[in-house]
Parts: sequence; C-alpha cells; structure tokens
Amino acid sequence: MGKGGNSHEEEEENMAAWLVGLNTLKIQPFKLPPLGPHDVRVRMKAVGICGSDVHYLKTLRCADFVVKEPMVIGHECAGIIEEVGSEVKHLVPGDRVALEPGISCWRCDLCKDGRYNLCPEMKFFATPPVHGSLAHQVVHPADLCFKLPDNVSLEEGAMCEPLSVGVHACRRANVGPETNVLVMGAGPIGLVTMLAARAFGAPRIVIVDVDDNRLSVAKNLGADGIIKVSTNIQDVPEEVERICKEMEARVDVCFDCAGFNKTMTTALSATRAGGKVCLVGMGHNEMTVPLTPAAAREVDVIGIFRYRNTWPLCIEFIRSGKIDVKPLITHRFGFSQKEVEEAFETSAGGGSAIKVMFNL
Amino acid sequence: MISEMEEVSEITVGETNMAAWLLGIQTIKIQPYHLPPLGPHDVKICIKALGICGSDVHHFKTMRCANFIVKKPMVLGHECAGIIEEVGSQVKSLQVGDRVALEPGISCQRCSLCRDGRYNLCREMKFSGSPPNNGSLANKVVHPANLCFKLPDNVSLEEGAMCEPLSVGVHACRRAKIGPDTNVLIIGAGPIGLVTLLAARAFGAPRIVIVDVDDYRLSMAKELGADEIVIVSTNIKDVGEEVVKIQNVMVSRIDVSFDCVGFNKTMSTALSATGAGGKVCLIGLARTELTVPLTSATVREIDVVGIFRYRNTWPLCIELLSTGKIDVKPLITHRFQFSQKGIEDAFQTSAGGGNAIKVMFNM
Repeated sequence: MGKGGNSHEEEEENMAAWLVGLNTLKIQPFKLPPLGPHDVRVRMKAVGICGSDVHYLKTLRCADFVVKEPMVIGHECAGIIEEVGSEVKHLVPGDRVALEPGISCWRCDLCKDGRYNLCPEMKFFATPPVHGSLAHQVVHPADLCFKLPDNVSLEEGAMCEPLSVGVHACRRANVGPETNVLVMGAGPIGLVTMLAARAFGAPRIVIVDVDDNRLSVAKNLGADGIIKVSTNIQDVPEEVERICKEMEARVDVCFDCAGFNKTMTTALSATRAGGKVCLVGMGHNEMTVPLTPAAAREVDVIGIFRYRNTWPLCIEFIRSGKIDVKPLITHRFGFSQKEVEEAFETSAGGGSAIKVMFNL
Repeated sequence: MISEMEEVSEITVGETNMAAWLLGIQTIKIQPYHLPPLGPHDVKICIKALGICGSDVHHFKTMRCANFIVKKPMVLGHECAGIIEEVGSQVKSLQVGDRVALEPGISCQRCSLCRDGRYNLCREMKFSGSPPNNGSLANKVVHPANLCFKLPDNVSLEEGAMCEPLSVGVHACRRAKIGPDTNVLIIGAGPIGLVTLLAARAFGAPRIVIVDVDDYRLSMAKELGADEIVIVSTNIKDVGEEVVKIQNVMVSRIDVSFDCVGFNKTMSTALSATGAGGKVCLIGLARTELTVPLTSATVREIDVVGIFRYRNTWPLCIELLSTGKIDVKPLITHRFQFSQKGIEDAFQTSAGGGNAIKVMFNM
C-alpha cells in the first residue's frame, strides 16, 4: 500500500505520516484539497500522539472504526496559518492557532441542539476514513481554528485537544467548588481530567492508578491524594475504603478514565448516593458492573464522548495559568521517518511516557 | 420460622389493633399490633386501602429484599390510604375524619442529603414494611402528619393507596426530564412499567412504546394508552433484532428508556435502543451485577439515571388523579378483605403475577 508522489510539483511537497498497514507508518506525500472559502491552510508545528492513534497503529481499528485504506495519523495539533479562504474574516496568515479536529454536519438535530460531538456524520482527524494532521500542512475549516494568545505556546495549543476531554467531562459532571472528585487512572486522560477538575474549583481530588510513576506525576500536578491500586477485582471493597479515607469526605463525582470492570465497580461503589460516575475511558464494550446497587443509590452514570465547545475555555485556562499542561509533555520528536517510528513506540510503551509531542 | 407470636383470634375484636405479620417464609398471620404513643406531630390513621408491592411479595417469599433482611416479625405493606382518627397536639394541617394517602418513608431531615431535598437517599430512612420497620397492613397505624396527604373528594381511598406506586413513575419521569419532546421506551408492563407509562403520558411524552414478554400485560398497556406495544423474548440473543423492531415502531428517536425490570437483557436493550444523548433510567432492581454494553452507550453520551423510590411526589400524584390526567383504577385487578384467608390469598395472587397487576386490600 502507499501512494507515490510527484517530487517536483511545488517548492515543497506536503508530506504526512501515513498509517499504511499494521504497525507501519510511512512519511509520504499528502495532497491537500483545494482551499474552500471558509477554510484555512495551516502549517503544523506541534502534534501530540493520542492513545487512539496508537491503537490504530497496533490494530488498524478502534471500536467500530476500521482502517481500510492508508490514512494520515494524528489529531492533537496546533500550527501557523499560511493561507485563508475568501470568506475568512477572523484569521490572517501568521496567526498561531490550535485546531479542533472534528467537522460535524451542522444540519442534523444533534448539531442544531449544540451536541455536535454526537453528529453521525462527524469527520474527525485520523478516525477512518478521514485523514489526520501529522503532516507539514493541513486544510481545515476556519471556525475550528482557535487563535492562541502570545503567552500560549504551540505545544500548549496542541494539548488543548486532550485537555478538552477533561473539560467536557467536568462540565457534564457539573464539577464545581462543592464537588469532591475521584479520578480512576493517572494516564494522560486522568491527568488532564484532574487539571480540569481543579480549574473548575473541585475542593478535593484523589487519583488512583496501578503505576507509581504516574501517581507521583499526579501528585506533582496537584492531586490532594494518590492511592496505588491493583488490577485484582477482589480488592475493590478494601480500595473503596482507602479511597474514602483519603478523600476525608464523600466522593461526589468519579471519573473513570480507564474503563474496565474493576475501575467502574470501584467508581460505582465509592461514589456517594446521588453522585455521578463519568465513564471517560473506553476499555471494553461489554462491562459487568454492580449497576443496580448504584442505581438504588441514585448514582448516575454519565457518558462522555470527545468534547464540544471547549477550545475557548481551554485556551483561557492555559493563558491565565489556571492550568499548566507543560509537565504532561514528557517526550519530544522531530518529523522524520525514524523519529515518527520511535515516537509511536515510546507512546505505545506507556509507563513514564505521558504525552509524546512532535515538533515540526 | 422466627419467633412465633401468641395466637389470637383472627379478626379485630373490640379495640385491639391487628396487623398482618410476616413470621417466616411464606408465613403471614394476623396478630395484635401495639401502636407507639401519638407524638405531637403524629396522626393515627384507620387504614382503609392497601396495595401489595413486589417488594412485599419478595419479603413474603424470601424474608429479604436486597440487603434488607427480616430478622424478627414484621408488619407488611406500605402502599396505603385511610381516615384520620386522632391528631397529635401540634398538628394543624389535618383533622379527625380527613381522608389521607400515606408516604411511607420517614427520613432524618438532618443529614446533608435530606437538607439537599434528596431525602429518599437518607441513610437513616425508616420505611414502612422494610425491615426492621413495621408496615401498614393493619387496622390502624401512627404516622407523621407531614407524610399524610389529604385526598380531594373525587379521589378514592384506593386511588390514594395507588399514589405510592405511581410515585415511582412520577419520580422517574422527573429525573429523566420527560416532556413534550421526549419519546419514551418502557421495558416491562408490570405495575411499575404501567405507572411509568401513565406518568410519562401525564408529563407530556408524545410517543410511548412499551415492551414485555406477556401478551395480557401488553394489552393492558395498550388500553392504558401506549402508542405501540412490542412482545419480546427472554433470550438475550434477540436483543439486536428487538432493538430494530422497537426503533421502527417508535419511528422517531428514543430519547428516554425506562427499564422497569432490571435484567442484563432489558438493560442491554435499553442501552442499545436509546438515541445518542439520551437517558436510560434503571428502575427495576432485579439483579446486583449487570453485564451490559455500557461503553458503546456511553460513547453516544447516553446517561444511566438511577431511581430509588421517590421524593416530593404525593401532591403531584394527587393532583394528576384528581384532574383525571391519570386514571390508576384499571391497575387494580384483585381485591381482598383483611382476614387470615384474605391475606394469604392476596399474597398468593400477587406473587403469581400474570393478570394480577395491583392486588388491593379493602379494610
């Protein structure tokens, strides 16, 4: 598989990282569509790797989305405007922007209701069959490009995407100055959720994980309490006790950023009557969980899918210093064949790699 | 069997207050029930109508319901209405002779949940007929006056007793925000599914589809106003096909599903059939652990809303009955007297399910 290119078309041929087969990425030409009146052309400067990107690399699928032909990978990105379409008023070449990946239809009932993240016609970077943005340049709707203030770097701009997941979850769960928060999982999503919860005013945040290193990162990022837990579902009751003790108060909202039977069981058991459990992490489809005792305590399960209308708030949080995402960027790579391969191996390895970032 | 009580003659004689006591598995006996003294904020009520709930049957058959275990003799029953016989010294809102419906649960009114208005979740809740609290299948009971709601002249005592199950449906419709925009799917056409149907209609739901395994119950649902009925199986393999049938019959998207049963199959159906951004209310509390396609539902931002009993529902239930927006009378399918034979037959009938929807005592 793979596409050949014509090397003398322009001064510079647009190149991208293509997923061409299982575990196989190749930097190859990426021909851009023509610029529509409401589009902009963006030179990519910073692109982060997401767990879903790794999943596609390793398995060529993610839930029901299957990679059937070569696809450009990557979607967490920021860059500099190179060219604007004829109708674009709010951006000019040279502007530094963060990109919201998903293009919804704007016609269906869900879009009209503002819940555009659920649009059945959503075209999302690097969700097959839509190409991603790990490329020199991409073309994108201008209204999905958000200008970055001077004190927000392009890497921080790229971090707006994962941060958006945390922000959206905190909104759906109504996190505020009265909600004590428990976060299951201290990976990239658990950590951005923790940062968002703090920014939303959560008074007390406890985070749990199986990995010591990730827990210490969480502590450095401001968790009030960290607890090491096991992968053994028999340990749930004991862990719930430890969690409640560490919280020193009731758990009002729990974010399950892992999405396994054990983590959901812990979440449902640890959350107080009338509280909420947000299922953010997507582990397995079928889950076996004590749903009924939770329902009998009116503990609601809130579903989270990506985000909507979060970029302005993310940018403001970063600009004002309410949120500092920089510590999450643990590894950096340039945009070459060798480095692309190394970067994905590093990200796939987990452990001390939180966010792996490309600088282009 | 747990400790037997002294045998006395069955029907109330003179002034001895009698009640239906659960003494052991499938063993109920009418025996004296000594009432506590009347507090300043209490009233004494002559019970006139009392319905049997699935939880009463569960206690009857197994001496337990979830984590509530019957450890000593307990008076059964909690869905009731009656006539005020005596009022405590501080009671202003009620007087002797008033016809009232009773809200069973006495919460502490001090904890943070109570103060937040979510008193149904109070950990100190004393709920009639839930061990160790005695219920109200008795000649008389003593109850806080603020949990007794006066019935208008055009609402019968039986309808008053029906306010309790109806409250479950009303509370669920509130939590799920049922309104003129919400198309509703109801799984299970038993007493709870049916009161949920009635409540959803009263809340303005434009289209209601109800499913069950039992034809009789489905036909009752159709008579009560369901737009469509669908017969379903108990086989979890049929979920995919049934979801398609249900969606076709609804025509529009399903905004809210009420699972009034609570099995893997019913929750799986609900989670799959509900449209993106919708809600699934888990009302039926059948099983502890459920194995369900939770993730594929949550990635469509379907929320699972838990329902436990009700709160602040009596005034609305009474209003809906009084104005005729809801008619609960068709749900009362069997009536029994308060006698030893009566209570035994009544419980057997209720436990038998089928065409027994609500079994009511007239006292």
